[in-house]
Amino acid sequence: MNPAANQAGNPPEALYAESFTIRGNDYEHGGDASARIKAIMKELGIPADVIRRLSIANFEAEMNVIMYAEEGRLEFQVFPDSVRVVFADRGQGIPDIQQAMVEGFSTATPAMRERGFGAGLGLPNIKRNTDLFEIESTPGVGTTLRYAVFLNDRGGVAGD
Amino acid sequence: MIERGHAVLIDPEKCIGCVACCKVCPTKAIRVRDRLAVVNPELCTDCGSCILVCRYEAATARTSAVSDLKRFKHTVAVPSVTLYSQFGRDVTPVQVLHALRQVGFDSHYDLSWMCEMVAGATDAYLAECKGPWPKISVTCPAIVRLIQIRYPDLIAHMLPLESPRELAAKLLRPRLAADLALDPDDIGVFFITPCSAIMNSILSPVGLEQSYLDGAFSIAELYGPLLAAIKRGGGSDLDAPISLSGVLWAIGEGQISGMRNTNTMAVRGLQDVEYVFDRIEAGKFQSVDFIEAFMCPDGCAGGQLTVEGRYAARRNIQQIARRLGNQEHVKEEKVRSLLREHFFDLEGPVKARAIQPLARDLRQAIALKREKDALLDRLPKKDCAACGSPDCATLAEEIAAGVARIEDCPFVKIEMLEAERAGAETGARARKVRKERNK
Repeated sequence: MNPAANQAGNPPEALYAESFTIRGNDYEHGGDASARIKAIMKELGIPADVIRRLSIANFEAEMNVIMYAEEGRLEFQVFPDSVRVVFADRGQGIPDIQQAMVEGFSTATPAMRERGFGAGLGLPNIKRNTDLFEIESTPGVGTTLRYAVFLNDRGGVAGD
Repeated sequence: MIERGHAVLIDPEKCIGCVACCKVCPTKAIRVRDRLAVVNPELCTDCGSCILVCRYEAATARTSAVSDLKRFKHTVAVPSVTLYSQFGRDVTPVQVLHALRQVGFDSHYDLSWMCEMVAGATDAYLAECKGPWPKISVTCPAIVRLIQIRYPDLIAHMLPLESPRELAAKLLRPRLAADLALDPDDIGVFFITPCSAIMNSILSPVGLEQSYLDGAFSIAELYGPLLAAIKRGGGSDLDAPISLSGVLWAIGEGQISGMRNTNTMAVRGLQDVEYVFDRIEAGKFQSVDFIEAFMCPDGCAGGQLTVEGRYAARRNIQQIARRLGNQEHVKEEKVRSLLREHFFDLEGPVKARAIQPLARDLRQAIALKREKDALLDRLPKKDCAACGSPDCATLAEEIAAGVARIEDCPFVKIEMLEAERAGAETGARARKVRKERNK
């Protein structure tokens, strides 16, 4: 089954789904949702590499909501062939997505960038760590991110 | 050859099944069944948290026996620099080293300068290292095992340099064998340890096929004889250059204080370590080069097998350091060349020992996860561990896996008994249970 087609058409029902609300400016709980999703993925035996990549993406996306949006909703879904995340926020939106997607679009020094900082919204970092990545944004309304990481053909066997 | 295995032991005669250890274990390795604490060897890090909280002296650490010394023609004591902090602020490291020879060792080895070398090697390594950042120290074996089990993603962050104690033994054995014209196997190199975690790292090393050390004695068991020997005096004739930055390794922040790189952090105590490691996993702290991490609250001076309290020990070490004055024993160029020759390198890979998922099959794991979550809703979430499992979530998982029952929870059991009695009295038992459940 082609997961890209699922996303465009009617996706099959998720085997497991959980949603989280993230409030803008809630720095105190920054990273909590990513950490909880990571714990769930460990329980479910999602391969370590998939967990690692998604955790990086989730953390970037979660912090974006906290820093730039009023409120966001995170949908975490496990499918037989992939793990998917949808982040939908109400907030200022991104006026120029193409510019935000440019790797290292930022005023940061090369040394800082090497360490994962100053990559703007971290969108390139999310894209780099995921197999599917979509973004829609309306300035003044909000942003929706959709991304996924494919599971290997054995469907989430632990210890890889 | 010493028998592999764990350093922490539970004495079934002394254990009353109080669950104190079960609750503090950082990897949830302990269950209390039939009033006895049972340690899961797969999960135990030998951190010694259980030894610290046990009021019945049931949790202890396995150490070497005096008879082990007799197997060797020449024995050498390599004390943790923590030993220098144990006898008050007026006793010098040289006096302590001298005392070790009075209590049965043929010779002694001061570890402080090897600590200084490793600090230098760490600086040199970090200067060339390409990440991932931050690097985490591997001096504390409980931290190494915590990473293997709970934070396998952080294995790539571990500083791949061996600890001073192993490096000292590696260096010492051939040197002594040559000096004394003995077979290297006739030399017994024994560590004097502040904790059970290091004992375990000798029994079952990580990143090393076999420890270079032949065993370890605890500071606590040698304390009495050493104190008596110190009081008898002597040792002022010994010419042992002690490294200032090396002795500071006994206390928290000591390791980083001797480094040239100041873009460092020190974290100690389980709670703080968890706080920092959770965040490193989430991609934070990437701007930090190096993190010194210790499981004990004040580094090695807080080890379970020490005698002097950690506050007094810290003061003693600071006093000793002040007296030593500022000197450097280690040549930077020498350290660099040893680093290039791979002298400091961990010899083998560090393997993940990650906690197993609920099931290996994804659908089955999801079914178990749902069952676990539903069971957790029924449990009181007091995390009292009265059932013998460390918290309600773990009990829920065990019920879902079929190795525990919901009535193992005393709160649920009382509820069930009350419901049963009420049901018997009114004859409306089924309705009542439903109502209780819906509460």
